Amino acid sequence: MTSNTSTQYFSERQAWLAVLARASRIELEAKLELANESLLTLQRVRPAEVGMLMLRGRVGGTGNPFNLGEASVVRCAVRLGNGPLGVAYALGRDKRRAELAAVFDALLQDPQHHDDLQSKLIEPLATAQSQARDQLQGEVATSKVEFFTLVRGDA
Amino acid sequence: MNTTTRLAAGLPDAVHETQHAFRAALDALARPGQIRRIGAPLPGVALGGAMARLLLTLCDDETPVWLQSGDPALQSWLRFHTGATLADSPMLAGFAIMTEIGRAPALADFAVGTAAAPEFSSTLLIELPALEGGPALDWSGPGIEVMQGVRLQGLPADFWTQWQANQASFPQGVDIIFTCDEHAIGLPRTTQVGRTGGV
Repeated sequence: MTSNTSTQYFSERQAWLAVLARASRIELEAKLELANESLLTLQRVRPAEVGMLMLRGRVGGTGNPFNLGEASVVRCAVRLGNGPLGVAYALGRDKRRAELAAVFDALLQDPQHHDDLQSKLIEPLATAQSQARDQLQGEVATSKVEFFTLVRGDA
Repeated sequence: MNTTTRLAAGLPDAVHETQHAFRAALDALARPGQIRRIGAPLPGVALGGAMARLLLTLCDDETPVWLQSGDPALQSWLRFHTGATLADSPMLAGFAIMTEIGRAPALADFAVGTAAAPEFSSTLLIELPALEGGPALDWSGPGIEVMQGVRLQGLPADFWTQWQANQASFPQGVDIIFTCDEHAIGLPRTTQVGRTGGV
């Protein structure tokens, strides 16, 4: 495998992991039927566990990093049968949600299930998530204030 | 595309099982020479039950681990579940894992701490073929009322000479936990070892 296709693979996986990380438990639970038979061989390599992580930010997006605060996060790693390892990280403390996301990650890495899940799970979720984001941005944009420094006339 | 080589699972109930193993390790070092049960082997891990559980219990991202075996599956298992880094040399090891004591470095090659900070020493976890049935030795020292008879198997001939030097350098020196399958015996640096009935 060349490095080019492997980079592409990782960015694809990053994309679906990002969608899974933002999906709610209800959304994931509703699609569990897509995974049905594989669940019989579920092995919890790292059972879902809750921890903390430090969120860091930069002032204005470019300044020095500072610690914004801590957030609870849940993570999980599973394997279905002899398949690849599925992992998940999600904000919050919902262990079931992380487990479901890890199951879907494992299945998405499996060529047999990939296309099916990509079209029935990831794409609808990604569309819904970007719509929600656009809507929120639209709502917030109306209250945006721009600051200008006016040159004084006597300068 | 399968980049992960069959990563084995960790402890199903990490909180309680590591508490149990930690307590057993504490007892083993507080009562040198007495056999303690740590727990059953973990499926898919190429280590005895006691060794695997002690690793998951004791190691974290602040304890560099030196592994005698270069098994990549073992390395990734340890790093995935504990976050521990791998030490390049025995001298840098917080914990040293030895599965073939006959071909292991000398005790003096491990970190012994400093006189001001003797706690910065390596703790050695050594897998032996058996904890009973070997040459009879008498252990004595803190935690042992009079004498504790111990019959470890599989240690090289000069091991106890090295141990004498280690014990004499107190408060510096290494501590050892011998494991075999599900069981463990502690040998802290304070324990003196002599042949049964003499020397």
